[in-house]
Formats: sequence, C-alpha cells, structure tokens
Amino acid sequence: MTSPTAPAEGNERTARAARPAAWVLLSPLLAWLVLFVVAPTLILFVYSFFRGTGVSEFRVTFTLDNYRRALGSIYLDVLLRSITYAALTTALCLLVGYPVAYHIGRSAPRRRNLLLLLVMVPFLTSFLIRAYAWFAILRDRGVLNSLLESLRIVPAIRPHRLSLLYTPTAVVIGLVYTYLPFMILPIYGSVEKLDESLLEAASDLGAGPLRGFLRIILPLTWPGIAAGILLVFVPSVAMFAVTTIMGGAKIRLIGDVIEDQFTSAGDQPFGSALGIVLLVLFLLSFLMFTWRPVRSRQPVVE
Amino acid sequence: MKRLLVLLACCLALDGCRKTADQNSLNLFAWSEYIPQEVIDGFTQETGIKVAYETYDKNETMMVKLAQSPGHYDLVQPSEYAVEALIRRQMLEPIDFSQVPNVKNLEPPFRDPPYDPGQKFSVPYMAGTVGIVINTDVVKDSIRGYQDVFQKKYDQRIVALDDNREIVSWAFDVLGVPINDVTKANLEKARPLLQRWLPLVRTFNSDDPKAPLTSGDCDLGIVYSGDAAKLYQENKKFAYILPAEGAHEFIDNLCIPKNAPHREAALRFINYILRPEVSKKISDKFPYTNPNAEARKLLTPQQLSNPASYPAAGHLEVFHDIGPAMQDLSEMMTELRSRGR
Repeated sequence: MTSPTAPAEGNERTARAARPAAWVLLSPLLAWLVLFVVAPTLILFVYSFFRGTGVSEFRVTFTLDNYRRALGSIYLDVLLRSITYAALTTALCLLVGYPVAYHIGRSAPRRRNLLLLLVMVPFLTSFLIRAYAWFAILRDRGVLNSLLESLRIVPAIRPHRLSLLYTPTAVVIGLVYTYLPFMILPIYGSVEKLDESLLEAASDLGAGPLRGFLRIILPLTWPGIAAGILLVFVPSVAMFAVTTIMGGAKIRLIGDVIEDQFTSAGDQPFGSALGIVLLVLFLLSFLMFTWRPVRSRQPVVE
Repeated sequence: MKRLLVLLACCLALDGCRKTADQNSLNLFAWSEYIPQEVIDGFTQETGIKVAYETYDKNETMMVKLAQSPGHYDLVQPSEYAVEALIRRQMLEPIDFSQVPNVKNLEPPFRDPPYDPGQKFSVPYMAGTVGIVINTDVVKDSIRGYQDVFQKKYDQRIVALDDNREIVSWAFDVLGVPINDVTKANLEKARPLLQRWLPLVRTFNSDDPKAPLTSGDCDLGIVYSGDAAKLYQENKKFAYILPAEGAHEFIDNLCIPKNAPHREAALRFINYILRPEVSKKISDKFPYTNPNAEARKLLTPQQLSNPASYPAAGHLEVFHDIGPAMQDLSEMMTELRSRGR
C-alpha cells in the first residue's frame, strides 16, 4: 500500500504533499480498473497457454499452440478483414460525422443543445431494437425498396430489387450507424472551442475557405478527429453482434470468431489467445497513433 | 465509518432477504423459442416458485455457460449428444424419479434413451428433426434433398441453421459419411461441398429461422422441424421435406446440473411439464414431436397430421458427443464461413 509513494522520489514537494489525498480520490477508479480491466486481462493471458480438449474442456499446461494457431493464415485473414471493415467504417463515420459535428459546433447555443440531443437519442433504446428496425428498412420488401419502387426508381420485380439485408453493405451500414455518435461528439468538442478570430485573421490574410480549413480548422480540430477515429476504429474492429444480425452471420469478423470460441466451439484457451493478439494489436496501433500527432503538430506551431 | 457500517449491514440484510426468497425460485436455462411463457406462468401460479428463464441457441453455448457458473442453474435443456457429454463430464445430477411420477406418460422409446442408458439423468422434453422447408408459391421444382436446395438458382434465397455441427452433418449425409464419424479426413472430404454450399446461403439463423421465410427474404430453409411446423400452421404454402440423403432426429431433454441450488423446484417443474395438459400447451405453441403419449391424445387430428411435427419416417440417426473433434470442425467452418462472399 505504501509502494505508490516510493517511485515518486524525484517529484517536487507540492506533488508529494498532494499524494495521499489524490490516491484516495483515485481509488474508486483504480479499483475499477484492477477489477474489470487488469484482472480479466490477466485471466485471459493465463488461459491462453492452456490446451482446449473439447467443448469448454481444457487441460492446464503451458503451450504456445494457441498463439501458433491464432497467427495462422485463417485467423490473420479474419483479422485483416476486420481491420478493413473497421477502417471503412471509420472513414465513412469521419466523412459523415465531421460536417455534422462542425455544423452543430457552429450553431447557436439553443439549437446546438437540441442537435446534440438528437445525436444522442438513439442511445435511449436498446441496440438490438435499433438493429431490428434496420431489418424493416433493408429487407427485400422493406421500407427502402417500397420507397424506391413507389418513386419508380426500381421496378417492383425481384431481380431489380435492392438486396441489402444480410450483405457486407448491411454490415457497414450497421457499423457506421452504431458508431457515428462516437465520431460526432469528440469532433464537436473541438469545433466548439474554435476561436472565431483565428478564422477571421486567416481570411484577412488572404486565405480562401479551403486554405483556411486545411491550415486552421483542420489542425485545431485534430484532437477531436483523433479521438473520434480511435473511438470508432477500436470498437468496430472487435464488434460482433452487427455481423450476426444484419450480416446474416456470413461474414465472420475477429469479434465473431472470438465469440465463437467462447460459445459454440467452447475453446476458451484459443479464444483467449485471439483476444490477447487483438489486445496487443490495439496497444500497438494506439502507440502509433498517439505518437504521430505530436510530430505533425510541430509544423502547425511554426 | 459508522455510516459505512450501516450501509454494510443493510447490504447483508438485503442479501439475507434474497436468500430466503431464493427457496422459491428456479433458474431455468433453455433453448430460445421453446417453452411457452404461459406454461411457465402456470407453474409459478400453482407453486409460487418464480422462474428465471434464460435462453441459448446452441448446445455448446449452454455447456460453456454451465461449466463457468457451477451451482447456478437448476434446469438445462440439452439435446441428446449434449446429455452424453454432460454425463461423461459428470456435470449432471441423477433425477429422483420417485418425485416425477408423470414420467409414465412418455412413449416407451423415450423411456430408454440411447444417450442416457437406463434413463438416470434426463427426461425428454420434445423431439424433432432437421429438414428442408420451402415456400411452394415461389419454388416450383421438386426439392427432395440437400443437393436440390444448394443449387446456383437458389443463390441468396436460402436460410440455414447457424450451427456448425448441423451444417457439416448435411454434407456428410450427401457424401454417405456417418454423421458421428467426425474425423479430420472426413472433414476434408466435406470441404469442397461446403465451399460450394456456404456462399449460396443468405443468412444463418438458429434463433428464429422462420423470420426470413415469412418476410420473403428467403424461399428455402434448412431448419428445425418445429419451425417448419409452425410455418405450415400459419400458411400452408410452406412444405416440409425430410432430406432424401439422410436426416437425423434430435431429442431435447430436461436435466438437473450438479450442485443445482433448487433441486426440489427443478423436480417439480419436470413433473409439471410431463402433465398431459401442460405438454399439450407446449405442442400448441411449438409444434415439435411430442414424446408424451398422454399429451398426444389431446392433440387435434390437424396437429397430428402436420408432416413437420410427425413425419412418416423410420429409424433416424441421432448425434453423439464427438469430444475434441469439435475443435477441428469449428476451425474448418470458421475458415469456410469467414470468407463470406
């Protein structure tokens, strides 16, 4: 319990004086982290060296077989596909989310709150209910097709109907729909803090709208963009319910495959190994991500 | 500090309350779309025992959860091969049949199940088959077996159960490989066939494979007979076909897991389910093959003549526990299915 103070030997006196109180304040968070993040990860890590011997049966040994299997071509394929879907989702979220976030951030305070509320309204209902609502929209005789037919955009015979449900497109629609608010909210945060006078200065100094956007707005909202990308990319790599519900369980992403190991295949050691591989991947990409903006910020400051 | 102690005392008191209330509850872990709410409510009304009803859609999912939460569930509903596996792993409690007199209502074949010699651990709940359902309004060709379903012209019109063991057994049936002979060599034999079949499927669904058929998103399906029977009840255009290449039967059971906290309640529930009039209610809602002879007497001629519920078939095979071969099977299916299209 006293150990936290030990490594802080080199810190200034003020920091040290604040320490005990700070630890007390932090303790709920730390307990939460240890209980729900560190401990499960450790359990996962230990499990990943056991050997699965049947549905939810395993032998306690030390083997690297699970990792060998996890890094084999089958699962690397799945991983690559998951990353592709997540990247596409993130790009679409950014494309759709940025203008929305910018608009919300620049509108009058009263309207702004209303718009923010609208962004968050979907969270009031269960994810499953919203996914099933998409069913009604996308299916062969659904809302979208009847709309297109009544507008005479597509003829009302089967081969010309849009077959969207249970396709990769449906999966991407589902992912973008699910994670869009996580892109909008952090970008909105950055846009709201934008200093109007900087934009005026830019245009006074002869920067056109495009130049002003690229040189002023974009760099200043970058922290929001970065947070948004991370908040969308990370969970969408590991997403699993959307592929099952909207994709008809056809495209298996890494989240589905890991889920399978803990359910239908009942191979927890292997599922744990896959989970650890995914975790390491996240950590690496997170490090890369947090390391780059620091470098790219320098030319902006100049 | 004092306030904290009071809080702690409150928690303990609440916990105590929960424990006493617990004597009157039953933790049921069963298949989705299988036990009518009406039947559960009837049990609660009669006995005062509250039923916590949790569902699963694969035997394997249930076995994993059961292994991870010992001493939680009072009743599970494994299919025959899962009963076998659970007996082998000593995860079931023998059933005290002196508390379950209604077991006499079962048809004789269900009194001596091959997967539970001497019927010590399991009581059959419902039985059924896995077969083909077609929308005859749209599908005009004669469909007799799996190979008629998996044709190019039905690309993206097919719904299949989201169950790897099932899917592999269909390919085995076509190839003439015994369905329980799951070896690496046999899996490799099935691979090219599955590779051709899987991309034709529009959606995999075990929870409610009826949905894409009623909505018209699919016209053919390989589903549980109870789902097919229900579709037929709703609309006669849905026909059920036992695949010509071979079909198998499943028998779902009620079993009490080891260390079940409310064994008494579980036994009462089993006996209640075996009452003819209760069992009839289950058949009304989920028209599988009812193993209860007395309940069958209460069914209407229409119910009994529903070809999906009571198919005119001779001896059908059943799944057996395949142990570690399940790993190879699911790995191959992950590989084939993850490709998508």
